[in-house]
Amino acid sequence: MMNPLEDKLREALRRKAVPEGFSGRVLARTRELAEPKFWDRLNAFLARPALRWAAIGLCLVIAGSVAYRGRQERQRREGEMARVQVRQALRIASLKLNEARRKVQDINRGTPQSRL
Amino acid sequence: MDISVTTARLERSEDALARLALGDATAFADIVQEHQSMVFSIAYHFLHDRSLAEEAAQDVFLRLYRNLASIKSPQHLVFWLRKVACRRALDEVRKLPKTPPASLEDVAEPVANAQDSDPLLSRGLRRMVASLPEDSRAVIILRYQEELDLAEIARILGLPLNTVKSRLERSLGLLREKLNRWAGGAA
Repeated sequence: MMNPLEDKLREALRRKAVPEGFSGRVLARTRELAEPKFWDRLNAFLARPALRWAAIGLCLVIAGSVAYRGRQERQRREGEMARVQVRQALRIASLKLNEARRKVQDINRGTPQSRL
Repeated sequence: MDISVTTARLERSEDALARLALGDATAFADIVQEHQSMVFSIAYHFLHDRSLAEEAAQDVFLRLYRNLASIKSPQHLVFWLRKVACRRALDEVRKLPKTPPASLEDVAEPVANAQDSDPLLSRGLRRMVASLPEDSRAVIILRYQEELDLAEIARILGLPLNTVKSRLERSLGLLREKLNRWAGGAA
């Protein structure tokens, strides 16, 4: 049997209309939620096996190229240093030879050499 | 609630869930449209504040969005929404100061009021429901807003059936007492 209080409660607690634009606001929040962050997008992108291997390959090529260029640069610097040392050695040798030649010429001209 | 309306609603939810499973992005919007009034009203009758109720209702739908994969059927969807709406509203009620601000009820409710045979009485009753202890309020809202049977209410609130029965009786007694006092005061 229906009770008047229960009827009144049914009437008072009838479902209400939602505020205008409610569903739009909910959907906007779900879109925010669904929008992937940068790292998520990157992870998702790299999750595909072919792309993962391509990315690994690209990383290896870049790393190899950097290492190769580093080694080349080191070798160039070592070569440059060796060239400077050779030039220095040649300059010293040339000075010594010139000095020796001058002394030999002095002896041939009969100039007394106190040091010889 | 009219059985044919409920059946139509379940059919629409079933269709939306099926479309959702097929990746139809508009299906979630349809689910929100279909159940927004139920979720919002549960929150509103708990909280007695339209902006807090909207916030809580939005959270319920966001939670649904994250848990769509766990929804098995339209019936489960409705059960889930009612349960989560009650829990979310209860959490919000517990955060509120003990006395709700009196002016909140003055916010216009054009749709509901247009259908009330006695708007003043309905407003008074809503205020009385909002003043009930939280757990009893949940029982009253699910019983008279959603027109659920006691077993279903017990399932949603995770309570023994007898507890729901006793809370309903106690709440009705309290409401009857308050209503009599209110009617006496108004006369």
